Amino acid sequence: MGSRKYPGRRHLSGKQLTAVIGVAGALALAGCGGSSGSSSTAGGGGGATQSATGSASGSATSGSIVWSASPLTGTGANDARTVLINAFEKQYPGIKVTLVSAPTNTDTNRATLATQISGGSATPDVFMGDVIWPAQFGAHQLAVPLSQYLPSSYWSQFAPGLVQGATYKGAIYGSPLFEDQGFLYYRKDLLAKDHMSVPQTWEQLESDASKLVKGGLVKYGFVWQGDSYEGLTCNFMEYLTDAGGAPTNSGYTKATLNSAAATKAVTFMRSLITSGASPAAVTTFQEPQAMNTFGGGNAAFLRNWDYAYSAATTASSGGKLKASQVGVAPLPTFQGQTYPGYSNIGGWNMYINPHSKNINVDLTFIKWLATAPAQDILSKRYGFISTVTSVRSDPAVIGSNPVFAVVPKTKLTPRPAGTPQYPALSTAIYQNVNGALAGSSSPSAATSAMQSAASSALSSSSGGL
Amino acid sequence: MATISSTAEPDLVSTPLVGRPDVNRKRLARMGWGFSAPALIVIAAVTIFPIVYSVIMSFNNVTVSGSGFSLDGFTVSNYNLLIHAALWRDALFFTVYYTVVTVAFELFLGTCIALVLERLVAGRGWMMALLLIPWSMITVINAELWNYIYNGTYGVADYILGGLGFGHPVILGTPTPAIIGVMIADIWKTTPFVAIIVLAGLVMLPGDVYEAAEVDGASGWTTFWTITLPLLRPTIALAVMFRVLQAFGLFDLPYVMTGGGPGTATQSLAILAYNALFKNLSFGPGAAVASSTALLVLLGCLATLRVFRAQVGQEGN
Repeated sequence: MGSRKYPGRRHLSGKQLTAVIGVAGALALAGCGGSSGSSSTAGGGGGATQSATGSASGSATSGSIVWSASPLTGTGANDARTVLINAFEKQYPGIKVTLVSAPTNTDTNRATLATQISGGSATPDVFMGDVIWPAQFGAHQLAVPLSQYLPSSYWSQFAPGLVQGATYKGAIYGSPLFEDQGFLYYRKDLLAKDHMSVPQTWEQLESDASKLVKGGLVKYGFVWQGDSYEGLTCNFMEYLTDAGGAPTNSGYTKATLNSAAATKAVTFMRSLITSGASPAAVTTFQEPQAMNTFGGGNAAFLRNWDYAYSAATTASSGGKLKASQVGVAPLPTFQGQTYPGYSNIGGWNMYINPHSKNINVDLTFIKWLATAPAQDILSKRYGFISTVTSVRSDPAVIGSNPVFAVVPKTKLTPRPAGTPQYPALSTAIYQNVNGALAGSSSPSAATSAMQSAASSALSSSSGGL
Repeated sequence: MATISSTAEPDLVSTPLVGRPDVNRKRLARMGWGFSAPALIVIAAVTIFPIVYSVIMSFNNVTVSGSGFSLDGFTVSNYNLLIHAALWRDALFFTVYYTVVTVAFELFLGTCIALVLERLVAGRGWMMALLLIPWSMITVINAELWNYIYNGTYGVADYILGGLGFGHPVILGTPTPAIIGVMIADIWKTTPFVAIIVLAGLVMLPGDVYEAAEVDGASGWTTFWTITLPLLRPTIALAVMFRVLQAFGLFDLPYVMTGGGPGTATQSLAILAYNALFKNLSFGPGAAVASSTALLVLLGCLATLRVFRAQVGQEGN
């Protein structure tokens, strides 16, 4: 019976082998795309809580919720998120907040939340999300319109522009937690050696940086975020706005990236590399690489967010510089424009999962995060820019960090995030700018490629590739 | 399913299998299906259903919302979008190009290593264990490791190239070097896998053919080209098949090392599908990328098998 029960392996015909391997291949590959399909069907049964009554007011005294937030700063007992939770639980002893640490990469973070929420999961109840998410999350009903619950008096306490940025089609989806914006950090000691003043134009910055490198005073001149990712869109927006351009029309229906201003911006960014002002490796730099280069004493200038001052001067964060060596200023602008240049707005909001079973507790937590004690922790202890006007203008807060003193002097430019198609739009921008920085396409070819990819993203109802 | 197997088993014991071939065959077939049923149901639930669903999704307008998503009618617009998108064509070209180059290199190096290993009398086990380290390491860790090597400001590769007078090319920030850089990482990681498969094939080769060749006075080179390589072809076909399947689904290495950049130079089809699905939440086009990739790799495998079929058939005889 052996021969019949165990057909010899060698008798496997070519055709059979073809079939087996073919099927295995299809299974292996399509399984990847298919996983989204299976999670979706689970989600189909999840109850939608979109038609919320709006009765919850955020005055709960007991309950327990799960908060998803990516790491901010600090570790262990000094973790900013843990410190916030402890302070909240002290004031609301009946409420328990459980922290779920979200991925640090904002795109991975979003993918995780989008699959969880569209899959019908009731947790996390509240999540900390990027300021560029409201349109996408609002359009796909992945977040609760908070304006249903919280009165206009709540929203008026925030600094101008922030609530508008969290609004999509008339509803406010995110409650501003802290703000980020671009700054120019510079080495006071190096500038003093060469008797330079803080550059007020990009052209000046470029020549100062090259001069310092050529003079052997420092290894690299100006470091920033040039990798192919969201951060490059932030950097590009600053040059683009300084050059007088805009990425789209005001209704987000048309891309306007094939402009002279966009070409000027890309040409200048590329020239930073070719002139030797920035290292060629800047095309692979995200925040950590730029930060490490500057914080390690290897660069004269740095474009980074507000946390960079303390990161550069705090040994435990890897900074090797003394406070006396580091200066902070608004970003420069192009020659012929009024100083200062534009800083891109970043930062994080608090959102509520539409499937949350504890909306009243969620609101209580979110409202507390906008109060002075919570905002003080974020700004005084950790150096984040407060979103609440009264905290921001508090002299005690301003005195706690040199960066805060610069904030009132800056001009802000947002990213074009008012459309649910923003992720595809941003991808169109950063991929093509990065290509031009790497020298694989000319600035004008990059802007026309950017324009065509951005146009197809904006005209696509499905979101595009 | 449990009931079938539990009743069938005592039946099998009480009835002799000899003498009634037709009845037995039917019974055995029934039993076979019974035993396989749980596994088949699991496969249907976790692979076949999602695949079919993702194909259906790719032919629909899909709306994603907080309460799952809905299919809003048949359309070919998702595929239409792909065909007209430079992004998709670039990703397809990169994926195919990458697959061909890495598989060719891995096959060549893997075969060389296997030939050496086969001759190794002492320490073969140790050598194999050492060889398998790159293969057994998690790809993401591999990728981070190569990121350090290639880093443009403190990387080892940068230091060595600079020392040799090649200047300081930014390996992962320039299109062609980035593609080569990712390929090297892949070849470094996967060659041992090919070597092990080929080695298994080598060990199975019949010794008498070699004795005959030796008697006939064939040189080592002739023996390799006329005996070893032809006999190894089925094994090589298998290795190629495994590697093509994996390489076509390429995701983690470029995702960690370059994020698909610079520009879109190292954006594979899988990264494109991921971006469409999870970044843009455009499930229709994303499913179209995934489904078309599966179809393409299936066709690719069929074509490869056709090339190697003569050899597979020969071996069968």
